[in-house]
Amino acid sequence: MNNEPRRSAQDMIEHLAPVLSLRRRIRAVTALMAGVAGAVFVSTLWWSEPGPLPGRTHLAFALFTALCLAWAAYGGWLLTRRVPLFAADRVIAAWIGLAASLATTAVVTVVAVRRGTGAGLALAVGGLFVAVAVVLVVRAHLRRAALLRRMRELTGRGNP
Amino acid sequence: MTDELLVVRAQLGERGALAELLARWRMPVWTYVRRMLDADRADDVSQEIWLAVVRGLPRLREPGRFVPWLFTIARRSVTDRLRDEYAQAEETSAFGDIAGEGIAEDPAEVMVERAALVSVLSALPVLEREILVLFYLEDLPVEVCAHVCQVPAGTVKSRLNRARRLLRESLEEKGHTS
Repeated sequence: MNNEPRRSAQDMIEHLAPVLSLRRRIRAVTALMAGVAGAVFVSTLWWSEPGPLPGRTHLAFALFTALCLAWAAYGGWLLTRRVPLFAADRVIAAWIGLAASLATTAVVTVVAVRRGTGAGLALAVGGLFVAVAVVLVVRAHLRRAALLRRMRELTGRGNP
Repeated sequence: MTDELLVVRAQLGERGALAELLARWRMPVWTYVRRMLDADRADDVSQEIWLAVVRGLPRLREPGRFVPWLFTIARRSVTDRLRDEYAQAEETSAFGDIAGEGIAEDPAEVMVERAALVSVLSALPVLEREILVLFYLEDLPVEVCAHVCQVPAGTVKSRLNRARRLLRESLEEKGHTS
């Protein structure tokens, strides 16, 4: 009967390395951000297009939007199911999310104003994204602070 | 350093703490898996469990409950492999789990059983095997076993009693004395 694992601890850590790699986390965050930002941007172009559009153009806009949403879904799935985001990663990801939300809102608003369709809707949608991003930033900082506080409590208990 | 502190540090993003946690719990997890499954699958399933642990660790809300959480994940992977055996065992044990029975606490007997346990474990039904591994080989308290197996503590005690009886019968058949 085999009473020892064949893989050493080092082997196991090496097998887990791809899951913990920085590149994979960046890829997941980028896919989510680019997908959401792209979907908002293309939808704004579509919505603010002057005059009636031919069927093919509608189809093209719809396909672009669907493609961006698919990337956003892929990024979201990676972040929630496949790639572990630890407290420090969460803080960084939340700030990237906030920056991307602000940038997307700015670009979409400028496009809407230049096309004369009014900035109201663009600002409303962008504001919603920014608000969600701010909530994520606050939550990430609170979670990290709570963990740091618990670590200090446990360290203090260990070294009286 | 306590498990809880290691978990908190790992959740903060310290790779060293994660590696230490893995080094500390690698063998207990492997032992549990190996006693439940054959040698060919034990390494792969252990790896799969650690993958799930690493992925789920940031979402663990109570770092102090790491061990029950870890063995719950391990049990899920094992039950996935032994789905048929578990389904059959749950059916037959439905009438056998009488809550509230006490556990005999003779330390000498426990030592004999612990030593002889491994040799006859594989012949026992899956629910009894599982509870013996968790309680005797992993030294988990009844409450933690109950959490891991998702049954009331009374059911754990009755399963333990039944498992001990089966174990004793197996040992007697093999010519051991308990």
